[in-house]
Amino acid sequence: MSEPPSDVELVRRARKGEEVAFGLLVERYQRSAYAVALSVTGRHEDAEDAAQESFLVALDRLDECRSPERFGGWLMTIVRNRSKNLVRRESLREMDELPFGAPSRIPAPDRTAEAAELRGMLREALSELPEVQRQVVLLHDLEGWKHREIAERLDLPCGTVRSHLHFARKSLRAALRKVPGIPELMRVAQ
Amino acid sequence: MIRRMDDLDVMTESGRDHEIAAALAALDPASGDPHYWLRFRSWVMSSAARELSRRRLVVRLTIGDVLESWARALVPIAALFAALAGLLLLRDDPVGDLPPIGVEELLVSELEGSTIPARIANVTFAAEVF
Repeated sequence: MSEPPSDVELVRRARKGEEVAFGLLVERYQRSAYAVALSVTGRHEDAEDAAQESFLVALDRLDECRSPERFGGWLMTIVRNRSKNLVRRESLREMDELPFGAPSRIPAPDRTAEAAELRGMLREALSELPEVQRQVVLLHDLEGWKHREIAERLDLPCGTVRSHLHFARKSLRAALRKVPGIPELMRVAQ
Repeated sequence: MIRRMDDLDVMTESGRDHEIAAALAALDPASGDPHYWLRFRSWVMSSAARELSRRRLVVRLTIGDVLESWARALVPIAALFAALAGLLLLRDDPVGDLPPIGVEELLVSELEGSTIPARIANVTFAAEVF
């Protein structure tokens, strides 16, 4: 079985307008882009908008990506900036700072009321964390990125990533522990 | 005894925390919509179509430009050389038609328009120079 193409190869081909190559980059990073956007915006709809727009911005500026081997980190920087801009725009529009985890304009479809309840609690618990801790815990425990990958792509030392992850998990556990019946809810989510 | 979540040692091989990961999975939009990521990608790809098309066009134009610039320089030069070669062939052609003659014959035969003695009158001998 052949190795999946590297980021360097895909970026080189995408620069020439190869649709398949750009599609593979989107497929490879769409989940992490969403996770990073969600950690900044706190709302599904905003995270979706910011993540999708970031891919388009990245394509427009692909020639500015000087180290294609670090495409992931470069893209995550774009996602963070787009997300922050979006939050700022939303805040100005609504003349009120939106707290992390405020309900979406159009909520994501819920399979069950329990899953929705768990989602609400998670948003609230995540809103208590600093932004960088939200990013680290979402990329690691939701997207399955390794410490080294997170360190490279968020431009943080590996030890700092571990530390953020430790504190984020501790805070999340503490928040979730307060809620009765959480293990059952988590089984519903699984 | 109440089992505290802090006490759970539930790391996967990759270091992920089972409990936290299970909880966070609820935030994955695909948890309630299996085709979510497919639609996400489709939206991005359809929005990116114009830029991808522009990039393909730029690549094609670049190759075309190189070929055109070569053609622009080479075609006139080739045409010029072809014309010169044609002229030379035309000029040299009568020489090829002259019948072969010997040295003696050449010395006594008349050249076109003047005789050999008339020509010799214009010759400067080395003894006169020194």
